[in-house]
Amino acid sequence: MTVKVEVIEGGVPHTKIMIAGLVSTLVCLYLTYLNVLTNTEMFAFFGGLAVVSALIWGSHTIKVLCSYGIGTGVPSAGMIAFGSGVMAMLLATKFGMAAPLVALVLAAVIGFILGYISNNILNMKIPAMVQALTEMAVVGALTLMGFAALITGGFTFAGLTTGSVSMLGMTVSSNQISFIGGGLIAVAFLLGAIAIQHPFNACLGPGWKQDRMLMLTAECGFLSMIVAAIMSFALISAGSAIISLVVAIVGWAYAYNQYICLSKRDAAAWLDAKPIPEMEGH
Amino acid sequence: MTAVAAKPQAGGAMNPTAMAVGVVMLLIILALCWYVSPGLGLMALIGVTIGGILIGFGTHFIPVGGAPAAMGQAPGIATGVAMLAAGAGLAGLFGGAWAAEQGQVVAIVTGGVGGGLMMAITCMMVNFVYVFGMGIPSASGKVAKDPITGDTQAEFKSQGTEGHGLPFVSFVGGVTGGFLGGAGGTLIYLQLLRLYEAKLPALMGIPATQVMPIAVAAAGMFAVGLFLVNAVLTAYNITGTIEGPHDPKFKRWPRSIVASAVASALCGFVAILIVAL
Amino acid sequence: MVANIIFGIGITALTGALATVAGSAEDTESNIGSQGDPNSQVQLAPQMGFLHRIFNKAVAGEPPAYGLWCALGAGLAWAFMAMQVNAVLAIVIGSVLAVLVQGVYATTAYLGRTASLAKFGQPVYVDILKSMTSVTMAHAFIAVFCVVTLCHLINGALGHPFPLPLLGLIWGIALGAAGSATGNPYYGKERQYQNQKFGAGVPISASGNIVRYAEAGERNSLDNGFFTHKIGGSASGICFGLIVFLELWRTILFDKISAGWGAIVVGILMILIFTVVDRYIEVWARKNYGPYMEAKVAS
Repeated sequence: MTVKVEVIEGGVPHTKIMIAGLVSTLVCLYLTYLNVLTNTEMFAFFGGLAVVSALIWGSHTIKVLCSYGIGTGVPSAGMIAFGSGVMAMLLATKFGMAAPLVALVLAAVIGFILGYISNNILNMKIPAMVQALTEMAVVGALTLMGFAALITGGFTFAGLTTGSVSMLGMTVSSNQISFIGGGLIAVAFLLGAIAIQHPFNACLGPGWKQDRMLMLTAECGFLSMIVAAIMSFALISAGSAIISLVVAIVGWAYAYNQYICLSKRDAAAWLDAKPIPEMEGH
Repeated sequence: MTAVAAKPQAGGAMNPTAMAVGVVMLLIILALCWYVSPGLGLMALIGVTIGGILIGFGTHFIPVGGAPAAMGQAPGIATGVAMLAAGAGLAGLFGGAWAAEQGQVVAIVTGGVGGGLMMAITCMMVNFVYVFGMGIPSASGKVAKDPITGDTQAEFKSQGTEGHGLPFVSFVGGVTGGFLGGAGGTLIYLQLLRLYEAKLPALMGIPATQVMPIAVAAAGMFAVGLFLVNAVLTAYNITGTIEGPHDPKFKRWPRSIVASAVASALCGFVAILIVAL
Repeated sequence: MVANIIFGIGITALTGALATVAGSAEDTESNIGSQGDPNSQVQLAPQMGFLHRIFNKAVAGEPPAYGLWCALGAGLAWAFMAMQVNAVLAIVIGSVLAVLVQGVYATTAYLGRTASLAKFGQPVYVDILKSMTSVTMAHAFIAVFCVVTLCHLINGALGHPFPLPLLGLIWGIALGAAGSATGNPYYGKERQYQNQKFGAGVPISASGNIVRYAEAGERNSLDNGFFTHKIGGSASGICFGLIVFLELWRTILFDKISAGWGAIVVGILMILIFTVVDRYIEVWARKNYGPYMEAKVAS
């Protein structure tokens, strides 16, 4: 048994965050399906909102897991989450309308087995390991699906592998200019992998506060959404991309502002161009 | 990081039951794959599994000291083990993918040499900075004598530290690890690429020339993802730091072999299902 | 055929030069931000009672962080190129946007870490946030721009099959791995612990007692970047430059010899050369610096 370094003190319990995160992510992913129903790409921004809510859930899972010393850095947890999530997500995209649910189940199975491997075969014996890796694989898969929906407007395999390129006024269908063919999936992979681990990595320490960390996650999510929205200009119509961009910038500005206020609240002092405070005995 | 400084107490002990369960899981996945896609799919899955094992085994060789190494308090390279292995292995994958048209064996060896070269340069520069930048000779903290050169280590350890720098055995370990990682990553990439090239045109209803970007990018992305999964699992196995093949933690490799085999087979199976379903 | 090889060698030399600049800028950026492993000491110092004015920008380890900045720069550049924007302009805009993300991450990391240390009295310095972030962003821009450009050259001019963002991910992670491996000890030991004995590791008992005062006034991270760039930064640059240059060079020049085996043999020869050089450095240090204590006394 390991020594638990930090106790989760107060705040919203993890189960509540998990359920809220899961439900809102799935709802947001399904709202992007409005694109198909209305035959537009205007609702792509819901993919970005799915990313934000999945990341908020995932960063809290990382907090639960990494409160036990896992022997290696916090970032590795994000890497394993997305490394296992990317396959589940791509296989799930083949199931059309059911894709988010299939991704959820598939990723949960992969994550559960990876958790079993770490805990029993590798003998890590960390109580939260199996559940945390299961959750994180799901978060990885759903986050990637959210990015895919944000950038391409949908989450079907065909949509992710085909795009159109306009050359000399003609529009030609192309596989090179697409989410997977162009390698944008690599960008989505790392955007998510860094954003999921950064909040806990940045806020760890004796003064850790749940609301500050989760606000930072929202900030990271919206920041990733801004750049993903810029990339989506290449694959969806400009008007829809602008909607995504505006939503992302507004959300980011709010979250960043709130995060700075929360940091100001928690910091020992907020100084500008002042010397190191004198401490007794030093 | 102080807040998460307490290392897990996971010792070197093996868990026979779990190992057996792991092997059974591996067989089940192989059987499922044989059921869904005999022939090409099963061959690809076996290749992916071997590639994953190479990555997991290779990461054990890479000498990483973590944060204490940056202060000259512990031997090894001062960075994270999973990410250093990834850096070397992906540099190898880069070379291997480039040589993909020249046949399996050439591509895999090219990938391995690419990873080994990356680690050779990095390890040499680490020793360069330690010796000429900071005036510190190399010393291992885990063994009295370097198993390869026979140099005694203890008297070169400065006071209050566990050793510093990269003794020769760690250098050789680093190159070996880079070679295995690069070869494993390339093997995974090649297997998936062959499979996707063969199956995607019929699946998507487009000519084979158009499918290339998709096949390359998807196989490359999966190779990177599988690499990270295996490297992180190995990092968990050695609790983040290892000095190289002479470190007592190195003896934990059988656990990692089983773990990497199951994890790669599982993820590889999912990747194969994309074209098999 | 010959013209092809000469063209390839020219591109290889250019990518090698770009990689050298990128490695150097990457290490300086991470040292100014105290990113990577030396970060643990900046984090530890206030807990031991040593308050400081050092920038503490823990986004992630350098390899994943640079993996993101470079992949993001490459992805944005790819997207702009897909929109028919000129390649040079696309790479510049992509790198600028990636660096903006880096800057935001840096500020949130500093605020988060410092606010969590409130118990030990470590204050947040707004002036540090303003001056250091902009300097790290400038260095990060150099590194990201160079990596994205070299990826574009590899993809466009040398014909590597991987798409641009995937190449950005691969070389970004390799850049972070090489830069952190080479540069971290020089910052962690030599600069943070200038008050400790030269030519020896930092005793574990001294952990946290980092140097906090400069020649005049209090040390900030710009002083650290200024110091570490001289050896740590240059060494990181040479390291990453050699990796990229030799990897491409052996492929371009020897790939066609006996169906690929030529490049493999040359690669193995180069590994052997580096092994000999490494062994020479190790033996040189043992002979010239000598043991710290007599062999018998040592346990």
